[in-house]
Amino acid sequence: MKIYIDSRPVEAKEGQTILEAALDANIYIPHLCTHPSLPVIGECGLCVAEVNGRVVKTCETLAQEGMSVNLKTEKVIHQRNVALEFLLAGHPHDCSSCKAYLKCELQAIIQYTDVTHSRLRTITKTTTDRNTDNPLILREMERCIMCGRCVRACKDLRGVGILQYNREGKETYIGTKGDVSLAEAGCRFCGACVEVCPTGALQDFEGVFRNDIAREKALIPCSAECPAHVDIPAYIRAIKEGNTDRAMAILHEKVPFPFVLGHICNHKCELGCKRNGLNEPIAIRNLKRFAAVNATNGKWMEKVTFKARTGKKVAVVGGGPCGLTAAYYLNKQGHDVDVFEKRPQLGGPMTSGIPSYRLPIEGVKKEIQTILDSGVRAECNTEISDVRSLRERYDAVLVSVGVSHGKKLRIPGSDFEQVYTAIDVLADLRQGSDISYLGQKVTVIGAGSVGYDVARSLVRKGLQINIACIEQPDKILADKEDQEEALDEGVVLFAGRSFEEIEGGTEGVTGLRVHTVLSSTYDRATGTVTEVALEDSQMVIPCDSVIFATGQHTGLNAFENFGIEINRFGYPVVDGFKTSGEGIFAAGDAITGISFVINAIAQGRDATAEIDRYLGGSGEIDEKLCDRIADPVIGTMEGFAELPREEQILRGTERAQDEEDVYLTYTLEQAQNEANRCLQCDLRNDIGHVCPWMDYATK
Amino acid sequence: MITLEADVIVCAAGLSGLAASVAAAELGAEVITFEKNNTTGGAANMGISPLAVGSRQQRMAGYNYTPEEIFEKHMHYVHWKADARLVMEYYKKTASTIEWLENMGVNFVFEGNTKYTPVRMKHFASAEQVRHPVAPAPGQKVAPRVASTMCKKMTERFQELGGDLRLESPATNVIMEDGRVIGVKAKAPDGEDITAYADVVILACGGFGDNPKLITERTGFEWGKDLYSFRIPGNVGDGLRMAWEAGAGKEPSIMELMYQIPDNLNHFALEGAFRQPILWVNKLGRRFIPEDVIGNTGITGNAIAYQPWGTCFAIMDADTLAYYKARGVDFPGVQGEDVFDQFDEAAKQAKAEGYEFYFECDSVDDLCEKTGIDKEGFLETLEEYNACCENHKDDIMGKDPSFLRPVKTPKFYVLQQFPGAYGTLGGVRTDYKMRCLTEDYKVIPGLYSVGTDAMNICGDTYPFILPGNTMAFCLNSGRMASENAIEYLNKLDAEYE
Repeated sequence: MKIYIDSRPVEAKEGQTILEAALDANIYIPHLCTHPSLPVIGECGLCVAEVNGRVVKTCETLAQEGMSVNLKTEKVIHQRNVALEFLLAGHPHDCSSCKAYLKCELQAIIQYTDVTHSRLRTITKTTTDRNTDNPLILREMERCIMCGRCVRACKDLRGVGILQYNREGKETYIGTKGDVSLAEAGCRFCGACVEVCPTGALQDFEGVFRNDIAREKALIPCSAECPAHVDIPAYIRAIKEGNTDRAMAILHEKVPFPFVLGHICNHKCELGCKRNGLNEPIAIRNLKRFAAVNATNGKWMEKVTFKARTGKKVAVVGGGPCGLTAAYYLNKQGHDVDVFEKRPQLGGPMTSGIPSYRLPIEGVKKEIQTILDSGVRAECNTEISDVRSLRERYDAVLVSVGVSHGKKLRIPGSDFEQVYTAIDVLADLRQGSDISYLGQKVTVIGAGSVGYDVARSLVRKGLQINIACIEQPDKILADKEDQEEALDEGVVLFAGRSFEEIEGGTEGVTGLRVHTVLSSTYDRATGTVTEVALEDSQMVIPCDSVIFATGQHTGLNAFENFGIEINRFGYPVVDGFKTSGEGIFAAGDAITGISFVINAIAQGRDATAEIDRYLGGSGEIDEKLCDRIADPVIGTMEGFAELPREEQILRGTERAQDEEDVYLTYTLEQAQNEANRCLQCDLRNDIGHVCPWMDYATK
Repeated sequence: MITLEADVIVCAAGLSGLAASVAAAELGAEVITFEKNNTTGGAANMGISPLAVGSRQQRMAGYNYTPEEIFEKHMHYVHWKADARLVMEYYKKTASTIEWLENMGVNFVFEGNTKYTPVRMKHFASAEQVRHPVAPAPGQKVAPRVASTMCKKMTERFQELGGDLRLESPATNVIMEDGRVIGVKAKAPDGEDITAYADVVILACGGFGDNPKLITERTGFEWGKDLYSFRIPGNVGDGLRMAWEAGAGKEPSIMELMYQIPDNLNHFALEGAFRQPILWVNKLGRRFIPEDVIGNTGITGNAIAYQPWGTCFAIMDADTLAYYKARGVDFPGVQGEDVFDQFDEAAKQAKAEGYEFYFECDSVDDLCEKTGIDKEGFLETLEEYNACCENHKDDIMGKDPSFLRPVKTPKFYVLQQFPGAYGTLGGVRTDYKMRCLTEDYKVIPGLYSVGTDAMNICGDTYPFILPGNTMAFCLNSGRMASENAIEYLNKLDAEYE
């Protein structure tokens, strides 16, 4: 049907209100209590218009064929402005310190209407001190204009219904029943009330969400922090429903190694988790592990798509997490991919570094096999020493060699035969090779996660292990859990020690001489360590061999002519992922230095997009492997704010006698309990957005 | 990645950015304006009145100021520590800018400022009648926020002219090539990278009032310790950073100083009640200002910052409070004229919250103990001051005798005051054409800085005797930059051909 707004013909749908029809036609009518995701209540009185000589609220008046609507008559402007003055009488006069400044719907309406303050007597509210001490949600109710959007969002949108109109004396205010705290009232802290608030009355606490990235991404902080941006709330929801296959499909949209990540990811996502503001973050990694361990084999693959073959060939040098990720997605983009791996098996640190008590090998092999089954070819035991000649046979080359060479500190004695690097020993352990060359007593230098990996692996071989490091105990880089578990398993720590010499002779190594330091600082630029030593603190840690876990490098400097520019530290010189060689790219630890598996995977994905574009593709590698089903009506849950985090059960110290995983995967009940703790931050992005007047074409 | 192209790119759509955007678009340029928030107008949405010299309104009201005369006054006030040519060009332009805005549909209500501010407030009596308040909606009074309607009209004008206004899209970096500007990097609302090319980039980002670290670095104040200034969210110094990164030189920055109580919005009525010409002393218990001058927030801010420990106390006794409750305020401020009607409620709330800057004291001893004011000094001051009150003559500081009310009858009511500020002024070096200059005073071709980022004309104190200066400088520097930029673009075109 047609209606006329200020004489302009506007198409309106059957059942639409005047306001809806106007906004659809890009004509602005000021409105405050009306919100696209909430039921209409017609309270604020701003959206008025004149129809047939009568002033009506356009949010409540249905459009009718031929209707003539006037927005600019004197009566309309007068009524609207008086309505706004009523709102402003109880609102602070000054906006300069309000965090919602320039992000405030009320401010934009003030700008639009010319109304700047109220002629009414200033209303000083006496109830603004109620319920101001809550986690996550900041309530500055002196700014509240009683539009009731939060009440409707809580009740109608979320089915929670803890916000209501309270009354005290002559004053009405918005609060909880009995003014109990939000947590006590059963708040789910979904943030819907904050999202719909048109002023600064309800705000997210500063720091809950990042403000340096796009808002819709920032609103889901776990996914924002994840380097691969996995849709975490969606797969947690699937686990809550007991549907691990869905969860795996969602995970596979972004990462080809959920099993690996479920065991060893450094879970930066959990740092971002909004529940940190309530009690403890969701155990995202453990939930991922639960899904990966329990899902039906291969069920997630049902919707995987492969693009038409392009006839282009890509060589991937190095089959670690970065290289294999890139290989998988490049193949899906239609390119033929050959992976070259110098080791006897694919997987890099996943199969030759990380010990089995943290990452069971069978699950890793399965995930690698899936990639090979999808059509990626691999040649193991093949080291590439010249990528330029490789490039002659391929349309593009990706260098993803990682950092597979251990570094030794230059101290006297480090050239003894019985001095090794952690990465080599770990590789031998994973291969099941004979490690009797280490003797019985071993000292590991370096207390990062690699140092602990090698120490704890060797404990399981019945060896006596010391870890020595220069850091003071509270500055050790490895996870706290790793340190505590190692201690219980019998690893002896010498922290705050400076290394003088590895002692020994023709018979081999006899010990590591150290002295105690009170503090030390490392200058990254020059690579020098400055220390404050404790006098007369020299000692010798007796041992048969020493293992350095003090960093790794690419080893690329060893090649006479690798074919691309390499800097003096052995890393390819890159601009983004591009190396100095045309069509030759580099990614992963080989350009970032040693990092976490999830970072390598993210690099593999990003490099794939760039290589695909280079080969004439779109660079679009995202795919949806299952639909998203989310019920926005989350309801109340008793004690929700205090729900404790489920921990995986750590096996007793008998674990140090075998090489099985030290943790037990969640039971279904544990997993569902944990998944139930999720705040479901993603629901907030489904709430409609109110545009300011200047977003409309016709004012 | 989105790639865009235009003649002129303006970074931020506050008052200076809007002025630059509209001016450039009117001169036929294709303009893209990036704004990181979802509303235009920036800090000016809280503003009232830009300054102008020689406007039709002024002449109609019998004020025949010339730009030269106001220039003299300004330069004298800032001790000639400013680019005189820039100051002159700026004042010469102000009258035409009022007309320019009127043509966009902005109305002004200049009738001589006395109508809006009581003469008893000494500072405004000495100020020149140069403010031009923006007209409010029919039936309303001039009040903070009236200038937001000016922002609206400018936004509409820019859109009518086909300007490309991009909200929620922050510009992040200036792109330089061969020593001249070729565009900016920005972010789209969904986080996608934007590269926008243009030969002219005008930075108009509004200073760094919301960046405590930079405030300390650049002005020495420590926010939350000896400074409680407004922090217009988002004014973190984007414009200065972008300009400096692109090679622009640095000029000193100052706080646009005034005074404020901590967390003032939650104690607004209380703040208004004590912004009266009562007894003001520093921590040594000494008077430091004729209290009828405290209406001049700029010099009072300076005075407080100059006191030992950078703070002071406003004090009244029970009789004075009763007087104000019965008769109303001496000085109405932005807090409103009815602050004493709200006094009891506000005081109760402050006490309930444990607000640590408001004191109710039963005796002088109690007062000194609670506030930390030096007792010996304060007793001497009380003796002197109360004698002045009795004699109806302020021999000590020369305050208007009608404001002399003794401090005798407990309870004593005290509110502690600190330096505050509206924001920051200055920092980016420009010439009088608003072109950014390097440390060596070389022009950076295509790069302009306007508004408060480039307002290096105030010496060490904002010239309150010429009120409306900040908004006026934003408007006029924005226009000046665009007009000069178009000249530069024409020259570039000529070189190509």
